[in-house]
Amino acid sequence: MTQAPVPQSAITRAWESDFMWSFRHSPVAIVSFVVAATLIFAAIFAPLIAPHTPFEPGTLNLMNGFSKPMEANEFTGETFVLGTDDQGRDVISTILYGMRISLFVGFAAVTFAMVLGVTLGLVAGYAGGWTGTIIMRIADVQLTFPGILVAMLIFGIAKGITPIHLRDQMAIWVLILAIGLSEWVQFARVVRGATLVERNKEYVQAARLNGRRPLGIMLRHILPNVLGPVLVIATISLALAIIAEATLSFLGVGAPPTQPSLGTLIRIGQGFLFSGEWWIILFPSITLLALALSVNLLGDWLRDVLNPKLR
Amino acid sequence: MLAFTIRRTFQSVVVLLVVGLVAFSMFRFVGDPVDNMLGQERTGADIERLRTQLGLDQPFPVQYFKFLRGAVQGNFGVSYRQGRAVSGIIAERLPATLELAAVSAILAVVFGFGLGVFTAIRRDGWAANTIMTLSLVGVSLPTFLIGILLIYLFSVELNWLPSFGRGDVVDLGWWRTGLLTESGLKALILPAITLGLYQMTLIMRLVRSEMLEVLRQDYIRFARARGLKERVVHFRHALKNTLIPVITVTGLQLGSIIAFAIITETVFQWPGVGLLFINSIQFVDIPIMAAYLMLISVMFVGINLVVDLLYFAIDPRLHVGSSGVKG
Amino acid sequence: MLKSLLNGALALTLLGTAASAETFRWASKTDPQTMDPHAVNSAPVLGFLNNVYEGLVRRGKTMAIEGALAERWEAIGGDGWRFFLRKGVTFQDGAAFTAEDVLFSYQRASSEAADTASWFAPVSEVKIVDEFTIDFLTKAPNPIFPDSIANFMIMDKGWAEANSAVLPSKDEGNYATLNANGTGAFKLVERQPGLKTVLEPFENWWGKPEHNITRAEFTPIQNPATAVAALISGDVDMINPVPIQDAERLQQRGGVTVIQGIEARVIMLGMPHKAEMLKYTADAGKPNPFLDVRVRQAVAHAVNVEAILAKTMRGAAAPASQLVSPAMRGYSPSLEARPAYDLAKAKSLLADAGYADGFTFGLKCPNDRYLNDEAVCQAVVSMLAQIGLKAELDAMPVRNYWTELRADNYDMYLLGWSPGTFDAEHPIRFLAATPNKEKKLGSWNFGDFSNGRIDELLPMIQSEIDDGKRQEMLNESAKILQDEVAYVPLYVQPLVWGTGKNIALTQRPDNFLILRWVTVN
Repeated sequence: MTQAPVPQSAITRAWESDFMWSFRHSPVAIVSFVVAATLIFAAIFAPLIAPHTPFEPGTLNLMNGFSKPMEANEFTGETFVLGTDDQGRDVISTILYGMRISLFVGFAAVTFAMVLGVTLGLVAGYAGGWTGTIIMRIADVQLTFPGILVAMLIFGIAKGITPIHLRDQMAIWVLILAIGLSEWVQFARVVRGATLVERNKEYVQAARLNGRRPLGIMLRHILPNVLGPVLVIATISLALAIIAEATLSFLGVGAPPTQPSLGTLIRIGQGFLFSGEWWIILFPSITLLALALSVNLLGDWLRDVLNPKLR
Repeated sequence: MLAFTIRRTFQSVVVLLVVGLVAFSMFRFVGDPVDNMLGQERTGADIERLRTQLGLDQPFPVQYFKFLRGAVQGNFGVSYRQGRAVSGIIAERLPATLELAAVSAILAVVFGFGLGVFTAIRRDGWAANTIMTLSLVGVSLPTFLIGILLIYLFSVELNWLPSFGRGDVVDLGWWRTGLLTESGLKALILPAITLGLYQMTLIMRLVRSEMLEVLRQDYIRFARARGLKERVVHFRHALKNTLIPVITVTGLQLGSIIAFAIITETVFQWPGVGLLFINSIQFVDIPIMAAYLMLISVMFVGINLVVDLLYFAIDPRLHVGSSGVKG
Repeated sequence: MLKSLLNGALALTLLGTAASAETFRWASKTDPQTMDPHAVNSAPVLGFLNNVYEGLVRRGKTMAIEGALAERWEAIGGDGWRFFLRKGVTFQDGAAFTAEDVLFSYQRASSEAADTASWFAPVSEVKIVDEFTIDFLTKAPNPIFPDSIANFMIMDKGWAEANSAVLPSKDEGNYATLNANGTGAFKLVERQPGLKTVLEPFENWWGKPEHNITRAEFTPIQNPATAVAALISGDVDMINPVPIQDAERLQQRGGVTVIQGIEARVIMLGMPHKAEMLKYTADAGKPNPFLDVRVRQAVAHAVNVEAILAKTMRGAAAPASQLVSPAMRGYSPSLEARPAYDLAKAKSLLADAGYADGFTFGLKCPNDRYLNDEAVCQAVVSMLAQIGLKAELDAMPVRNYWTELRADNYDMYLLGWSPGTFDAEHPIRFLAATPNKEKKLGSWNFGDFSNGRIDELLPMIQSEIDDGKRQEMLNESAKILQDEVAYVPLYVQPLVWGTGKNIALTQRPDNFLILRWVTVN
């Protein structure tokens, strides 16, 4: 958000906009944005930042396991800033790489849920009739199955139908599919609701009378109107997806331990809560909290800003 | 109205059938129940024999039909693990889950409403902002971690509350309640907080935003202009108009409390249907899994149906489906 | 209406009232799924029911066989065994115990409906001699028969018949699934499957009680952290297992005692001995390198068992060189050395076999079956990577695991084996003999290991009465299995129990909690 040598007027206009004005005057939003941006940046550049490559089994030494933060290991003499886990993996590095996986799963799942949900919501709201009914009943079925169950179901089926030598690479994609499928309903409901209201307004009626095709009408008119709430849901869903991934890990259907996500790290660390190796659970938990909380706060702020009725 | 009700009810039944189909087909991928029912020294012949006994050697449509036929009569078969009628097992476990869910829901609603109203009225106050931020901490950590942390703090370190289970229960004949004993009430506190926290945050945010919206509306301004006291404005007018959307959403959320109880029950070893379900996955106890999913579905679909009917009754704009497009 | 309410209120019973000093509450991961001693042959069931039912013989604190319902027994030449039954024993419902009950229990436990039939595979006939004498005739001389039936529990014939539980039921359950009537030191007073099971002392037990328990309550707790918390906060008096990593900290904490021992279970790596191709990763479809014994030797030399024991097992386990632990009968002390951790040697073995650059393959592992199983597999992956063997780890719940192994979906796998008979013959029969469905041999030999000499030795071991000769043959088998690297034994799994400071009990290597050895102070 700093100055850049691009056309002055555009930058200034953006900077002076209501949106930015509100951002500049919300310390919570600024802090959240900085935290989230830093974490995302760190995750993207993990291979450059991380002191070790925890996912390369050949580089690990089990005797480095359980090194305390900032203390030399009693067997190997190596020192790790945040310590190591039970496999001798550097905790900072596992967190950075783990966050990469969590964020990737989160973003991909939300994108998937958003595309699916918005499309189905628009169709259901605009077309109404049997199409709408069927879509919303599918949404009901979906809601009937708690997200966790949906994910477990998809996990099981994917394991059953993928060729055996591809299964491990599938885990992440299955997670994305599972979490995405359990969250699209939110988008669909909001978009459908908004569409139901919008479609009866004069401008849509007018467009329809002008002989425009339904798809065009929806995209041109309705989509911009529902963008605000969709953005808010997307943000909150991102936080939800990251948490859901962690919960799935607890139930044993998350990312594999050889390529742990933040959730997997917490699940593993949970086993060391009483054994004195507090750093194995503490640091990943703090990271997860920071990530989810900052994203949630941003979502919150967005909701207030984008809601015209609250101005 | 009658036509609408009939149509919606019919749709709900279709939904249940689909859920049943999905649930049932899911089990083929969960694992092999026979493996968990026989010991280390079994032979291939033992496995085949048990498979035949359980009817697992029959084609899938036959199995599904048998399951449906039983389910319609309320007969979900016999648990592979416990060798008892599934309906009896579920009936035995359901009170624990319902009590937990009810107490969590009450906590969530009471605190959600209270804090929501407070944060809406004091929109920019530091206390409201702190509450808003803190409430987000609760939804920014996975439930299982919150539960474990609560156990660690209140059971292990402080030793105030029990770490697991339901405490002593009182047998009312058909319902075992933990609400009538001291240990039962104590055992309820941590799981109820763990389970209710997420819903509380949700309700609180909903109440806050609905209330903020209402407070902006003309009739509230008008009320203020008439010189009504702030408290009267807030509680007599604003809150009342916030209630309808909040109640519907809350109703929907209550159903999901029961579903989310799975995690809480696992962490606290709470003897409800959620724990039963997780155990049944572990042991591939297909009849229990099927019955649990159907139970949850019936509850959700039921709630959905009621909410939809309420909407229909309350909001005239939604009459579009039956009476064409209105201007 | 009012009246029935009133009646209900009067009938209110407090379940589990104020815990008196002698109530013993314990928790374990798995609920015994049935109270029927013949329906499921699994450790949680047999371990629990050993407190309620009794066998002809039983195991003492050091696993030695001692008399229970049989006072003594003797071999009838090479034809079988004669058991002389204890007189004056009654079942918990008051019925007298006689040879009829033994015969009935034999028929029940060896039926197709039972899961314990394999114990009686050597038996040809069971004959009642008189009211308190019974003969178990065997097809061939069987020196270890009394040892092999320590968990064969005797049920009252009359009780089973009166309650239509003549045969065990695995699928639908029957009266004996939820109720019990043994001759043991404790009787079942309350059974809520998956939630709580309550035992109380049987006042007419024939033995002399060593315990002071008046009531024992069992609760299954799945989540290990919750179980540890329950123990620390005093909500239970004993948990099994304590997660290995928590043992040291718990020991330091006031109020808790950790009891460690060595279990009978040996954890090992298995490899395919017959498959033609690798099945996983980039090298899927290439010839199976594990067919070459040098590759298997390289694996054995590349795994740093000491490091696994120090870190993952926290020093609680012991290294293993054979398929049985030193505590088992028939162990070969002369073969106790396991292949040394030697990367250079492992690499040169690989180079000799033509795999100087290594290869990639898939390692299957359960993640809820053995102590820290997943962590051990991860460590193995790192260690094998050091010699260029890149394993892709697929860890899964045990509910899917055996199905995968049986379908040969692995290039390498982790297996734990605990011999039910506490004898070295057991793993040879199940893990090393060439798989043969008719003869019920090699049923857990997923890798299809096959060696003519082993198949020849097995029946000889089974029928040899002379202990010295038998041991020689066991030594020869163990040597073959080591030389051929049929499996790579890693370590013997530890037993870690946690109790309150006021509890005294005995930890038996088969992981059974015997309540009659528990005292609450």
